[in-house]
Parts: sequence; structure tokens; C-alpha cells
Amino acid sequence: MRRPNLPTGRFPLVALCAGIGLLVCALANALARATLGPPTALYWLGLLILVVPIFYRLTSREASSGERFALVCLLGIGLYAVKVVHDVPQFTFLDELIHSYNAQQVVDQHGLFNDNPILEATPSYPGFSGATSALMSITGLSAYPAGVILVGMARLVLVASLFLLFLRVGGSARAAGLGVAIYTSNFNFIFWGAQYAYESLALPLLVLVMMVLAEREAGDANRLREWGVPVLLATGAIVVTHHLTSYALAGIVAALALAYWYVRRTWKAPNPWRFAAFAIALAVAWLVVVASSTLGYLTPVLGNAVEAIANTIAGESPPRGVFESSSSSIPPTPFPARAIALLALAALAAGLPFGLRELWRHDRKKPFAILFALGSLGFFGTLALRLTPPAWETGNRASEFLFIGLAFVLACATVAGLQRWGSRRLARPLAAASIALVVVGGAISGWPWDAQLAQPIRVAADGRAIVSPPLATAEWARDQVPGGRFAAGIADAGLLLSPGNKVAMAGTNPDIEDIIDGEKLEGWELPLLRDNNLRYVVADRRAVNDDTLRGYFFAYPGSPTAEREPKSVIAKFNGVRGAARIYTNGSITVFDLEAQP
Amino acid sequence: MRGHRDLRLATAAAIAGALLALLMPIEALSLLFAAPLAFFLPGYAIVAAVFVRKPLAAPQLLTLSIGLSLSVLALGALLLNYAPGGVRGFSWALLLVLVTVAASRGAALRRPAAGEQAALSLPRPSSSQAALYGAAALAATAALVLAFATLPAKEAIGFTEVWVQPYTADGGGVRVGVGSNEQQSTAYRLRVRVGREEVAAVRRFALRPGESRVLRLPLVASAGPRKVSAELFRARNPDRPYRRVTAWAAAPGAPE
Repeated sequence: MRRPNLPTGRFPLVALCAGIGLLVCALANALARATLGPPTALYWLGLLILVVPIFYRLTSREASSGERFALVCLLGIGLYAVKVVHDVPQFTFLDELIHSYNAQQVVDQHGLFNDNPILEATPSYPGFSGATSALMSITGLSAYPAGVILVGMARLVLVASLFLLFLRVGGSARAAGLGVAIYTSNFNFIFWGAQYAYESLALPLLVLVMMVLAEREAGDANRLREWGVPVLLATGAIVVTHHLTSYALAGIVAALALAYWYVRRTWKAPNPWRFAAFAIALAVAWLVVVASSTLGYLTPVLGNAVEAIANTIAGESPPRGVFESSSSSIPPTPFPARAIALLALAALAAGLPFGLRELWRHDRKKPFAILFALGSLGFFGTLALRLTPPAWETGNRASEFLFIGLAFVLACATVAGLQRWGSRRLARPLAAASIALVVVGGAISGWPWDAQLAQPIRVAADGRAIVSPPLATAEWARDQVPGGRFAAGIADAGLLLSPGNKVAMAGTNPDIEDIIDGEKLEGWELPLLRDNNLRYVVADRRAVNDDTLRGYFFAYPGSPTAEREPKSVIAKFNGVRGAARIYTNGSITVFDLEAQP
Repeated sequence: MRGHRDLRLATAAAIAGALLALLMPIEALSLLFAAPLAFFLPGYAIVAAVFVRKPLAAPQLLTLSIGLSLSVLALGALLLNYAPGGVRGFSWALLLVLVTVAASRGAALRRPAAGEQAALSLPRPSSSQAALYGAAALAATAALVLAFATLPAKEAIGFTEVWVQPYTADGGGVRVGVGSNEQQSTAYRLRVRVGREEVAAVRRFALRPGESRVLRLPLVASAGPRKVSAELFRARNPDRPYRRVTAWAAAPGAPE
């Protein structure tokens, strides 16, 4: 029996440091939830205690392959735990609320393809909510713990697959470990990419497919069929889970097939063109047959991005400022944090040419290496998209995929540097510190400064728990309103979906947003509510009612959640004939438009 | 599956795990048995069935086992959606057991009798390493406990919620609910009016933070629906309504 090469070395000590780092992060978040001033420095200290020992150990020459594998798993799970301790005891990102509603619907209706009133496309990709429903329906758990565990397992697959992929392509466990460490510096790794949402399952499966294709290429010629089974299974799972990831998978495998052809001038196996064709066919078939609403969801996002780029290039609209707040009440990112984020970006850019040179020297005949080189260049291309507000999301989404290539390229540069200057005393600490810099910089760039720490949503008072105004509204609707369809600001609507388990519409299509935010009712507004069968309207004086990051929490002095709109945003519904003001908590009031029998 | 200890173990664990997870009344205990069934065993069995000639190394085996289990979950939901009974706890457990057993059986048939088996085992830590692991687990547990703790937040601005709902049973009336999310105990006066003038009820009470009270107020029968308003006053400001809600009370006999 083969003896597995699993961790020993310094792993236990590094694990202890990771545990202590996590505890410090949890303490910082607890203090923030307790409104005891934002101890942001404490949070960053905790993050550094968690990651730096791992990075330092990964730079070493003597750690075994098994220990490095365990270290990257620890890193992935540790950083995921940082996100978890930020949010417990419930989901607080809008996508999480949308997807937990979908999962609850699957369990309640015993079937897939139910409606989602906020993001219509999501039920057409039921792989994620379906997977959550397995744990929910077998154990009776709610969507929150089931979802947290599911995403945790997916994160483990992400970092483990990435390590094995880099190991197989580069042939160096040291480069593979450092590559994963650098990948954690992508802007979305800590928060956005770890949220309970369909991409959090699909992206790890995509990396798994890439890893399997790399193993397939390196394995015996007579074992090619064996590796095909996991590719087909994971491809199917990705296609039913997330639209963009399925298109990214098709694109990546197609590009890989072309790279194979470019290097070897043959379409014969292990050229993966058959898998590319399978992924393309499956993604297109799913889009056409099952998920045609996705076109209506994605087309405006991509169309607006293209238009905005054209306008910015033509000088017709100004570029978006970096670290720009969407509201005057939201505190700006402090200068030192901006400096760190920009420095991190500069470090990534500075390492690129060295990494590309290493790739050219050693790996230019490897199809995966060509793909990674193109990805690393593409990442810097997506940074330009961040300069226009409508294109920002497109650039942000693309960066998670492209960063895989950049991480590999920079890992090659780092290992080359360590080999050259490794005998110097400062070489390894400097390398670990550089990776820590890009991780912290990426975290600052990827999430608003004021949202890095938790906010109070459920607090203790006189020995009991009290909840924030929007959560109280959602819990009242869940407990006291049978059935019912609600129109609300996007943050209120999110909580009405989960934990409220109500149908709640928000946003601009249909134009609920203007109805909620306006100071008086226009002639078209009540007919629109009736046409959409929206009996209940949630009027909200909080300026953050349409803020998907900050709209769920208690107000406290000086916070953006304390800012109020004029009374007329609520009072405008008082005069609606036959309506009743059936619920109020001061800032939020619910009207029943069909109250009069 | 004779001669293949890992496959026998996987099959037994899947069957026992499914039964115990479904029967266990406590969710956390149920999770202990459901997690391996959902996140490891189906993938492990598939890997065993596919890679028979040369077992995978532990990291590949672990990664593929979890990754393919996740794939089975994503695709399995689709399968169950069109199966009789739909997506339910029992059907999920059955599907995951079937995948594990079928793939294990396939692996046993394909695997050479005395062939190498995939293996996952961890090296035994020394006492000092065990102590470090224990301390790490303790720190992580403390972090989670701290994260789950509901802490006081003196700066958070408290509030009181009021709601009203009509009912038609037993002659009809309204239910008025008051819930305190204030930071301290608060005394209230609640006044319910029917129409513009008629005072149906006045109640005085105090609520501690997190407490709520629901008042059920029957109304005298009338010919048609009447507007009911409930006004809440705080004892410290008794003349100024703090909250006001309204409802239309249906005539008796109308459907609720």
C-alpha cells in the first residue's frame, strides 16, 4: 500500500498560529459588533498572524510536498473562517440571501426551478441550491449552517485543486504552494468569492477540472479514459450550477486545446478539444433549453460595460475614481490602506515580467503554461474595466479566473528569486512579507473599507437578544403575514427573502426602486404595484435601504445606517385609498394596499 | 466486495450514515453522519471505480473525493427533481447511498483481487504535535464561540415595533402586537380607536428588551368594515404618539 505523504514538519505550529490569528479576527469582529469603535488594526493583525507563518513555511526549501498541501488547505479554510466569523449567525450579503431563499424553496417545494423575485436567473442554475438542499433535507438544518459547510468544502477543493494543478504544471511543490498563497490575494478571495452563492461552488469545480486535465496530460497514455470521468462529471455540475463559470470553463478548455495544438500540432489526446466541445455544447444547450432568462440578465451587464468603456475612451464620461465611496456618509478608505492596496498592485505588476521570463525559459512548451501566461496578462487588462462603473462588475468577475494564471506566473518568479537569493537571511522573510502585502492589498481593494468588519444585526440587551429594524420587519412578515408579496428596497427585500421566506421584489425591473425612494407617488406607481400583484409595500426612511452591504444592521451614531431620508418617503403611502399602515418600527413601515375589505 | 476493505467500509459507512442521519432527532448529531455521506463517500467510491489500475496519491484522492461528491450533489438534485417524491431527505439519502454502493461494487469488480488500494491515513502525531493541534483547535473553537455570541452594543439605536392585523373568527376584531427592541425596559400606553372617535381599548404595560405582547381586541359587530388605529405612547412622553398603525376590521362573517 502506498504510504501517503501527509504533513509533519512545522505544520502543527503553523496551525496553532492560524488558530490564534482567526481568534484575533473574531475578537476584532466581536468588538465591531459591540460598537466599541472599529478596531480595524486588530483585524489586520489577526489576518497577518493567520497567513504569514503559512507563507513563510511555504517559502522554505525543506517542507515536504504533503506538508505544503496541508498548508494550502489550512490557508484556504483559515481565510474562509475569517469570512464566517465576520457574518455569523446569518447571511448578510445580498447574493447569500437570494441563494438561501432558493435553497429553502427547493426544500419547501421538494423540487427545483422555483421563482426568485430578485434574481430571476438563479433558479435556472439549481446545482448550488440543490446541493444545499441535500444537507438541509437530510439533517433538518437551515440554509445558513448547511450553506456555510457546503461552501467550506468547496473552498477546500479550490485550494487543494489549485495546488495540485500548479504542482503538475510547474513540477515544483514549492512553486505550487506559493502559487496558491498568491492566489489568495485576488480581490474577491476573502469575502465576495467565499459568500454563499453559486459561483462559490462552480469556481472550485472549474479548478478541479483544470487539475484533472493537467493530471491526464501527465499520466500514462492508456489511462486517459480514467481521467475523462471526473472531467465530465464536474463539467456537468458546473453547467447546472453557474452560467459565467460554465462559459469560462468552455473558454478555458477551448483555449487549452488550442495551446496543445500550437505546441504539439496535433488534435490527438491528450489534447482536450473533445472536453471543450462537450462543455460548449452542454452550456449552450442549458442556456437555450433551461436558462434562457440568463440572456436577459447578462446582456445588459455586458452591454453596459462595453458602452461605458467606449464612452470613457471617447472622453464622454469620466473614469471611476479608485476607492470612491458611493455616498458621502460612507467613510473613505484611509490613505495608508489605499497606499497598501496600490503598492500590492504594483508588486503584482512588477513580478509579472520576471514570471513570464521564467515561463519562457522553462515552460514555454507546456500548454497550461501558455494559458497561464495569457491569463496573467488578461488580469491586468481587466483592471482597466474597473475604471468605469458599469464595467467594474465584469472586470471584477473575470479577475477570479485570470488570477489563476497570474498566481502561477508570480509563483515562478518568486521561486526563481528564492533560488537565486535564498541563501541570504532576509530572502524568505521578504518573500513571505511580499505575499502578505499583496494579500492584504487585495483584501482592501476587494471589499469596502467600512465593511471589512462585522456590523451589529443581533445584539444583547438586558439578557435578551434584540434585532435590527430590517431584520425585525422580516421576522414579523415571516411570523404574522400569511403568503403575501412585498415591494421593498433591495436590502429589506433581501431579508424578506431570507429569513422572511417571502416573495419580495426590488430594484429597477420593474421599477420598485423609484416607488420606494420617491418623496411622492407618481401616477404610474400604484398600477405597477397592482400589475405585479404586490400587496405589501415596505417604506423605509433609512438611506441604506438600497445598500446591499450596509442595509441590514442597527443604526448607531456616526454610521451610514443612521442617515435618514425625509418623512415623505413613508408618508406618501398614508393617503392611498383602502390602504393600511399595518406595521412600523419607526424607520420602516409596511403598508397593506388591499387592507380595506 | 470481499478483499477490498476500503470499499466495504465506504459502503457500510454510507448505509449506516444515511440511516443515522435520517433518524437522529438532533440536527448537529445528524450532521455528523450526513456530512461524510454528502461530501466524501460518493466521490471516494467513484474514484475507486474509475482509477483501478493504479491508485491515486492521498492529496489527489482527497481532492477528487470531495470534488466529485460536490458534483454528485449538484447533479443529483436534478435527478431527484424528476424522480417520484422529488427532493426530500429520504430520497437524497437513498441516492447518495446508491451512488456509493454502485460505484463501490463497480470498483470491486474492476479492481485486481490483490491490487493496490487507495488509502487515506494520517501519520500519528507526537505528544508535542498533538498538544499544538489541540491548542489550534481550541483557538479556532474559541473564535467560533466568540463569533456566535450575541454581544451587547450600547451604541446601537433601539426601537419598538407595532403591528395590527384584523381577524374575523369569534365575531371579529384586531390583534395588535408590540415588540421591544429597545436597549432598556420601556413602559408603554397603547390606545386603540375604531373610526375617528370610539376608543376601543387602552392598555398600559412595560416590556423588557426582546419582549413582545400581542393584544386581541374583539370589536362590536357593525354593518361594514371599519378603520381601526392603534397608537403607542411611551410613558416618558405620554402626549405624543410614538408609533401608529392602522387596519380595516372586516364585518363579522367575512372570510379571514
